[in-house]
Amino acid sequence: MIEVRHVKKTYGKKQNKFVALDDVNFTIPDGASVAILGKSGSGKSTLMHAMSGLDRPEEGEVVIDGENILKLKAKAVDKFRATKMSFIFQSFFVQANETCYDNVSLPLEIARVPKRERRAKVQKALDAVELSDKIKSKARNLSGGQKQRLAIARAIVNEPTILFADEPTGNLDSTTGEVIENLLFDYNKKNGTTLIIVTHDPDLAKKCDMQLFIKDGKIASQVNEQKKPKVTKIPVSSRRAQ
Amino acid sequence: MRRRDIVRRAGRSLRQAKARTLLTSLAIAVGAFTLTISIAAGEGSRQYADKLIGSNINPQALFIVKDKSVFEGSQTSTGVTEYDEDTITGHAAMGQQNVKQLTQADIDTLTKRSDLEAVQPIYNISMKYFQVQGVDKKYVAELSTYNDGVRSDTVAGSLPPLEKQINDTEVVVPESFGKTLGMSAADMVGKKITIVLERAASAPTNQQIQEILMTEGTAGLSKLTTGETKTVTYTISAVTKQASTSLTAQTEMLVANSQAKQLYDFMKSGTNTYQQYTGVTARAKSDFKPEDVKASLEKAGFGARTAKDLQNLLFTIVNILQGIVTGFGVLALFASVFGIINTQYISVLERTQQIGLMKALGMRSKDVAKLFRYEAAWIGFLGGAIGAGIAWGLGTWLNPWIMEQLSLGDGNYLLIFQPIPIALLIVALMIVAVVAGYFPARKAAKLDPIEALRTE
Repeated sequence: MIEVRHVKKTYGKKQNKFVALDDVNFTIPDGASVAILGKSGSGKSTLMHAMSGLDRPEEGEVVIDGENILKLKAKAVDKFRATKMSFIFQSFFVQANETCYDNVSLPLEIARVPKRERRAKVQKALDAVELSDKIKSKARNLSGGQKQRLAIARAIVNEPTILFADEPTGNLDSTTGEVIENLLFDYNKKNGTTLIIVTHDPDLAKKCDMQLFIKDGKIASQVNEQKKPKVTKIPVSSRRAQ
Repeated sequence: MRRRDIVRRAGRSLRQAKARTLLTSLAIAVGAFTLTISIAAGEGSRQYADKLIGSNINPQALFIVKDKSVFEGSQTSTGVTEYDEDTITGHAAMGQQNVKQLTQADIDTLTKRSDLEAVQPIYNISMKYFQVQGVDKKYVAELSTYNDGVRSDTVAGSLPPLEKQINDTEVVVPESFGKTLGMSAADMVGKKITIVLERAASAPTNQQIQEILMTEGTAGLSKLTTGETKTVTYTISAVTKQASTSLTAQTEMLVANSQAKQLYDFMKSGTNTYQQYTGVTARAKSDFKPEDVKASLEKAGFGARTAKDLQNLLFTIVNILQGIVTGFGVLALFASVFGIINTQYISVLERTQQIGLMKALGMRSKDVAKLFRYEAAWIGFLGGAIGAGIAWGLGTWLNPWIMEQLSLGDGNYLLIFQPIPIALLIVALMIVAVVAGYFPARKAAKLDPIEALRTE
């Protein structure tokens, strides 16, 4: 469960002061898929950064599985991100010069997964995105859709409990975008991973269990989809050793 | 992140920017090259000096003087010395100093010591002229004692083994004499040399002049003021080689110790320095350490130099030369440091997104800094290996040529490459590179992932 309580974030000082997040409150249940919607500059990205511990709001709490990550030390937050969270970006951010294997292996290395366990995990992640035949290819030789699939493989390889996706289909055509969407939602349903998508695409948002509309740093409205998804929930504690 | 993974990723990043990595490394390689040559030349020179001394000087040999200032040089002398009747005053205009002489009593003391043997005063004799059999012209040269503690190489003739004197009828001349005399070394051997010495007349007093004029007339006076001459004849038994492995001065003719003493006494008799000597050579007995004997001699008021002191003197020269070369190497290295800083800064800028991503994925700032420091270390390693490798290869290839140019003698290489100092040099270069990479690494570590990942 992710609880966001009274989060406030401001940029700049004095007359240049800009409130990016203003007393934001909401709760996301485990295994839910959430869309954060809003225009550019509405604060949706800032909210994602605050929830992932990349950014530190001045006020409020972000409680994940009972722990306020804003109170944790930098080292602990890093460990939290390395083991429990993952990211997918609009611009993929795959390392073009590296092979698919090395791209996917990076989060495992960061999380200090022993080398002998890595290959199987990388293989499994690439299988999930149907890129196992590209394991030795350089990422630069992949198409846009393949790159984003590679990014998904990198995001799911360490079996995170929360998956952040920042405009995951923003740079893709609609057909490819749909493939990526399906991959993300399938993974969310199958593994009970909480999926948080930052987007300004209402169609994508409609597929989520929950929609948060952000305007001027505030939650303008929160929509919970009528039909609650049947999630085969696996308890977090038993799913992950760390 | 595990260290091994960071090192691996660092290496991979460098391979992806091959040209830049190589060029940056080459800057360090210049420094590494110079330093490797400097280390190799230092080692080579030291081994050469060792060989030189080992093969020429008995390690037990000692050079003993009364006046320690002989060793100290002008830097330490105050310019004022206490008057002593045993001190001879050199010509100030010639830059000579007052040197306290060893008296016969001192020689006796030294000879009686239980830790010394072969105590021999050094006789420096100035001749009037000498003539070689078959040559009409008259020449002048230095005449000194044959030192049986140092063995020279010969071009012609033969020398007795170490610690054995030449015969009383023999003289040893250096190779350089042949050029002036117009004779080959082989021709010189067996030739007779006639040496004429002249003892300076003592300056007569007015009363003496009057007396001699009264009794013997002007002939007597001229006899009194011209002094006395002595003529001796020797046979050339050997011609010594002007070799670089020889330490002795190569411009003196050398006669047996007993002969030198006779000639020296002749020259000095009637003067106030009769039976006084500037220095003596001696050997520490085999069960005494020369250093201990030296210390004990110094306590007894003498000055002494051991073979090791001479070696240290040579080493000092080698060290100074090596220091100069090392200085240039360090300068080159200093310049390359800025190259590393520049390259790494550019690398950080280029890889802003990669750094942002790694941080977003939970990589610690410390590990990001490490990644860049290890890249710098790799550059240092590569530069060191390239520079040292080229130096090694080139040095090994050029060694025979250098040996020939400097006429060092067979097997005496100037550049001696040893793996351990070179390995240490490379490690040092890696450390230098890491230090140079500190600021870029810190910049990478401090990078804000949110800023780094902003794409708009």
